[in-house]
Amino acid sequence: MEGRTENSDEEIKRLQRGMNDLVSLLALPAMWSVDDSSQIGRTLRDVLLSMLNLDLVYVRLNNSAGAKPAEMVGIAPPSTLAVPPQEISDTLKRWMGDDPQKWHPLVRNLLGHGDISIVPLSIGLQCELGVIVVASRRLDFPDQVERLLLDVAKNQAAIGLREARLLSEQKRIADELDRRVVQRTRELAAVNEELKKEIIERKAAEEELRRSETFLAEAQRLSSTGNFSWRLDTDEIAFSDELSRIFEFDRDTPVTLERIAARVHPDDIPLLTEKIEQARRTDANVNYEIRLRMADGAVKYLHTITYRTRDLVDRSEIIGAVRDVSQRRLAEDALGKARSELAHMARVTSLGALTASIAHEVNQPLTGIVTNASTCLRMLAADPPNVEGARETARRIIRDGNRGADVIARLRALFTKKDIAVEMVDLTQATQEVVALSLSELQLRRLVVRMELSDDLPRIMGDRVQLQQVILNLLLNASDAMSNVNDRPRLLQIRTEYDNDKVCLTVQDSGVGLDPQIVDRLFDPFYTTKSTGMGIGLSVSRSIIENHRGRLWAASHDGPGATFSFSIPRAPALEMGATGVGTNRTRSVMDAQQVVRSQ
Amino acid sequence: MVARSLVSVVDDDESVRESLPDLLREFGFSARAFSSAEEFLASKYLGRTKCLILDIAMPGMSGPALQRELKLRRLDIPIVFITAHRDKNICADLLESGAVECLLKPFSDTALLGALNAAFRAK
Repeated sequence: MEGRTENSDEEIKRLQRGMNDLVSLLALPAMWSVDDSSQIGRTLRDVLLSMLNLDLVYVRLNNSAGAKPAEMVGIAPPSTLAVPPQEISDTLKRWMGDDPQKWHPLVRNLLGHGDISIVPLSIGLQCELGVIVVASRRLDFPDQVERLLLDVAKNQAAIGLREARLLSEQKRIADELDRRVVQRTRELAAVNEELKKEIIERKAAEEELRRSETFLAEAQRLSSTGNFSWRLDTDEIAFSDELSRIFEFDRDTPVTLERIAARVHPDDIPLLTEKIEQARRTDANVNYEIRLRMADGAVKYLHTITYRTRDLVDRSEIIGAVRDVSQRRLAEDALGKARSELAHMARVTSLGALTASIAHEVNQPLTGIVTNASTCLRMLAADPPNVEGARETARRIIRDGNRGADVIARLRALFTKKDIAVEMVDLTQATQEVVALSLSELQLRRLVVRMELSDDLPRIMGDRVQLQQVILNLLLNASDAMSNVNDRPRLLQIRTEYDNDKVCLTVQDSGVGLDPQIVDRLFDPFYTTKSTGMGIGLSVSRSIIENHRGRLWAASHDGPGATFSFSIPRAPALEMGATGVGTNRTRSVMDAQQVVRSQ
Repeated sequence: MVARSLVSVVDDDESVRESLPDLLREFGFSARAFSSAEEFLASKYLGRTKCLILDIAMPGMSGPALQRELKLRRLDIPIVFITAHRDKNICADLLESGAVECLLKPFSDTALLGALNAAFRAK
């Protein structure tokens, strides 16, 4: 019994020790650090070596990512042998082959002096986590309890490693996540930076655009020029600010054709309609001037240029620029008025120069009247009265009276201020009238007047009186140019002719001629070579001729003196019938005296 | 019957040529009219003219030019100038050079008669 008791006690102690060991093993995971799987290997090796009183423990832990396995070896004291784990591993493989699975669980092999029991333990079902190899010189190793402890240790290792692996995987994923987050954040920051730069650039571009828009608006305001676009399919019309200002449109109300038509001067609506049609039809620029009548009755003059184009999506569109030229028009009107005042002044000036001639023209018929009246009275006073002779002289009185009245009428026409009157003018006839008025003056100055006047000139459209003013001015200038000529005839030649669709008058003198250096300045206002002249004659003359779409010029000619000429286009074809089409260019060389008679 | 003295008129103005001879005839003279100095110089009446009524400004030969021409030809015909130009200087010059009178157009019949009387007195 005692033996049994002893055995029982011993058994109990063994079981107790086993229980303690088991508890120790079960407590192991608490010591393990989750992120160091080699620590699991090391603690297992040390615990098993001492707990089971082993001679050798070899632990190999496979790495998850296929890296080199971690190997460690424990050898029981008192041996101080430091065997590299790799050597142990190689020896074990030489003994039992590469695959620990196929190792016999309990194989007794000879190692050095004596037997040794070797137990390979798979961590994980297929050694996928690693291998623990334990060896003892005890032949009964492992007993039942030891086997149990080894199994528990093996399972604990598997659980711990799996957990570590899981954690490390999680950690890896977390790290990867962190890394990606960092990288993504960096990328986002870069993109953000890029965007910021773009925004700044865009802002600068917008600022630039705004500035150039401001410049454009400013330029439009300064030049009173606006522009518009008009989509032909929808009749959408867009006005620039300046154009709205010119039209005095409220900028917020859409522009429509009706609103535009309401602003346009009623007299100009047909013109606008015609020009709009023209703009729709042609790709060429359309250029016109229309008037606006504003709410307060003021009139604006607009110069418009439009052209048809296509927008980005190929829709027909009319683009236009509109300029408010009211100021210019007013200035032109004022200029025209000033010019007309000046022309009148020039006429009055030459009236002074012609006083003697006019007196002569009036005194001639007066002489006839007075003489005839004297004769008439004497015939009636005779005994017997000469009634027949008196009647004849009385008739002459009437005729001379009419002649005097004609002279006065011509003078009044030439020197009365009046607005431009456009009529059909026969230049030869107009010239004859002027020569008739000034002839005696010219004769007094001892001029030899020679005229070659075409008697079938085409008519020109113009102001007869203004043209006669020019002719008179040219005659007086020619006369002045010859006032100091005493060594040769003072020859004044007046010629009218028709050439190349133009009617032309030429006045040629034999005077001092033209200084080539001053020819260009001759036509400047207030330029004069005469001590008594005002210098407006030629400048006014030129502006009159240019108003008739003609040209006035000076030239030198062979021999002494100068030639002044002007040419004016003939009147349009419609009027040609009255003038015999001007093909007959025979000239009549007329004696100056005959002209006077013809009046 | 005493032959009437011939008074010649030289003037480019037709009214004068028409009216003046009739008045001269009313005065009792014989009268002839010419439209230019050249026509007068070429006519047969040149030598018979006892008095010349002469316009100053004419195309071609002027009145004063005719006066000089007559002097050159030593034809001493009294001259009464007539002119529509009121230029006192010209008249003064002409009177200086021997003209009998210088009448400004239009002139009265008495002024003309006075000038003619002076002309015939001078003769």
